[in-house]
Amino acid sequence: MRKLFTALTCAALSVAVASTAVAEPKRGGTLTFSYRLMAGHFNPAIASGTPTGIPGTQLFAALLRFDDKWNPHPYLAESWNISDDGLTVTVKLRDNAHFHDGHDITSEDVKFSIETYKAQHPFKPMYAPVESIDTPDKLTTVFHLSKPHPAILLAFSSQLGVVIPKHIYGEGDIRKNPRNSQDVVGSGPFKLKEHKPGEYMILERNDDYFMPGLPYVDRIVYKKIVETTSQTIALEKGDVDMTAFAVDPQLLNRLKKNPDLTLTPNGYSAIGPLEWLAFNTKNKPFDDKKVRQAFAYAIDKNFIINVLYGGYAQRSLGPIHPGSVFAPKDVNPYTLDLEKAKSLLDEAGYKPGADGVRIHTTLDYIPGGAAWKRKAEYVKAQLKKIGVDVTIKTSSDFRAWIKTVANHNFDMTLDSVFNWGDPVIGVHRTYQASNIRAGVPWHNTQQYVNPEVDKIMDEAGQELDQEKRKVLYQQMQKIVVDDAPIAYLHTSPYHTIYNNKRIGNPPVNSIWGVCAPWDEVYIK
Amino acid sequence: MADTEAPPTPMDDTEPVRIEHPVVEFLRMYLRNWAAIAGFLMFMAIVFAALFAPALLQRDPFEMVWMPFSPPGKDGYLLGTDNLGRDLLIAVIYGARATLAVGASAAGITIFIGITIGSLAGYYRGWVDEVLMRITEFFQVLPPLLLAMVLVSLFSPTLPTVAIAIGVVSWTGVARLARAEFMRIRELEFVKAARSIGSRDRRIIWRVILPNALPPLIVNAALTVGVAILFEAALSFLGLSDPNVMSWGKLIGDNRDYLLDAPWTVTMPGVAIFLTVLSVSLIGDGLNDAFNPRLRER
Repeated sequence: MRKLFTALTCAALSVAVASTAVAEPKRGGTLTFSYRLMAGHFNPAIASGTPTGIPGTQLFAALLRFDDKWNPHPYLAESWNISDDGLTVTVKLRDNAHFHDGHDITSEDVKFSIETYKAQHPFKPMYAPVESIDTPDKLTTVFHLSKPHPAILLAFSSQLGVVIPKHIYGEGDIRKNPRNSQDVVGSGPFKLKEHKPGEYMILERNDDYFMPGLPYVDRIVYKKIVETTSQTIALEKGDVDMTAFAVDPQLLNRLKKNPDLTLTPNGYSAIGPLEWLAFNTKNKPFDDKKVRQAFAYAIDKNFIINVLYGGYAQRSLGPIHPGSVFAPKDVNPYTLDLEKAKSLLDEAGYKPGADGVRIHTTLDYIPGGAAWKRKAEYVKAQLKKIGVDVTIKTSSDFRAWIKTVANHNFDMTLDSVFNWGDPVIGVHRTYQASNIRAGVPWHNTQQYVNPEVDKIMDEAGQELDQEKRKVLYQQMQKIVVDDAPIAYLHTSPYHTIYNNKRIGNPPVNSIWGVCAPWDEVYIK
Repeated sequence: MADTEAPPTPMDDTEPVRIEHPVVEFLRMYLRNWAAIAGFLMFMAIVFAALFAPALLQRDPFEMVWMPFSPPGKDGYLLGTDNLGRDLLIAVIYGARATLAVGASAAGITIFIGITIGSLAGYYRGWVDEVLMRITEFFQVLPPLLLAMVLVSLFSPTLPTVAIAIGVVSWTGVARLARAEFMRIRELEFVKAARSIGSRDRRIIWRVILPNALPPLIVNAALTVGVAILFEAALSFLGLSDPNVMSWGKLIGDNRDYLLDAPWTVTMPGVAIFLTVLSVSLIGDGLNDAFNPRLRER
């Protein structure tokens, strides 16, 4: 009897295993995706941001693609080589790739694309070391660099390095080219069929796609849904198959209970979204490191993560996202310690006055919805415990906040900054003394200056040996976290939500998540 | 009073004996109305809390005292705690201050703008009336909540901006009422008499007509306080509240996302708003009845 039971269990198990194994991807079907933002155009070469990147990476293929372990894989490029001195990068294109209009993709297009990025894209350090580009033959592109660039391969992936056709975008002012938003010509797995600005767009399978047998899905409908409640209902009803960058803990809690829906925080490690409390280190009292440290000690990061964000965010300890290979390890975690905070303020000379107040200061926050305001109120109430009186300043809109912070008219601000894959692209900018540029959003707005940190970043920024870079970034982060120009709080609680009854191979298994081609996604 | 045997005071000498002083008559009328008395007492209690609670309690309404979402009565918190673990009892008591301040100052602004525009239009008529009434209509057709939201988000949400925004969007009713009263009264004999002895317009408007036009305007003002409080709550609910000041609307706005999980966080300040607006409305009704000459002889 027992034997029979075991046998039956084994049989049942093997059937289960077999049935998951035979769930082969199949062709056809429509995938409906919704997002709260919709970009005006989809040309990733001239704009950053996820609303451009999500559709942009479906329409335009890049040279490389990355898996979830940060390894590069061939995409438009068949092979690539970095010279030993790191100054020459040679990329060979595959010979079967065409743009949507049938034109061959050539090294001229690659050269044109990267030059466009260099001239037009907001991430200046990304292609800054590229001095000149040669095209010895139709499929070979040679990049000559002024200094070794450890993130050059990453910059060739996702939305950071798509190839745009020179014959379409090469004439006139590319920013005014109407084909950035209508009749887009790329070489990605999907073509733009229809686009109603600010409402929806329809992407159709590219039958001439160069990856054999891909993509599986016939059609993608990209809908703009702003309201959280509408979003929730659309997912529950099955009107929408997938959404990304969901943050609202109430929404996540409710959808988590639905067996048809899967919620995952995977697929955001390259974007590397961090949320933190930044100090203006040129303003009193934040010119004193002890004050900044005291503030960092006074805030209970676990309360913010568990209570304000329902446990959906993750702790972050320093400048680099926990999903990165350079994530900080041995840094001061500033575990909640009010007594220590008070004694640091005492040491800094900020003793309590007759009313118990040591410091009067102000706090700005990104006007990005209720969660940010709640966090600001929490910080205010929490800092009161160490004798700091905080006045919260509400910005009327996003631009107003950018203006305040970018021009250094703040004491403290709650901010969110993306790592963008490699520290060279998204981290250095926040700490370099040379990147204090009033008026520019997300520069070194803290006005933090530490020559030693600059030196380490310069070195790590042109080191090609990954292991050596890891050591350098650990050193850099240890110093920065100790200097505390920023109190590091947590990652953004971004989640991708998809209907597991409908979607196979959801685009969550790479470092770029939904900002990578969806050519392997299929409808069950 | 007229029939008492006490010797008349010197002041009373000049007064005809059988006619009550208007204030006394008004009070007699008002006190006949039980609902109005209840409303008045309730309102006074709220005002008392607003004025003296901070001095008596010496607490910080923003202090996070306990676990968030502790239900009412549990763990010694009578009204429970909210999403940041703040004591709702303390927050509601302290919230009275900002809520009443916004309500009263918004009503003040409403009355000021409304009476100014209405009296000028009603007194001068002609093209002044035309121009002012077209302006009034312009403000009337704008959706008030939307306009208030635009104003508040334009000038960042602080208590004064919220009060001003509410005042700016709700004065039109008062203006039309004041205009109608002025048009009626300016034709009465005592106004003609004032004009015939050479009184200037300013004197006629402020000293002759306005005191006689006041009763309906006072009733309207009382009701406006209630409307303004609801307005403040609505703006806060939409996230447009001053994060540095505790108010009932702000409590509701902060906690509305948790309505299903922790209903008391929204209910408690909601009840406070309800009671305040109710008391103000009862007072308004009482005033209306007390001012109404037709009800006096009952």
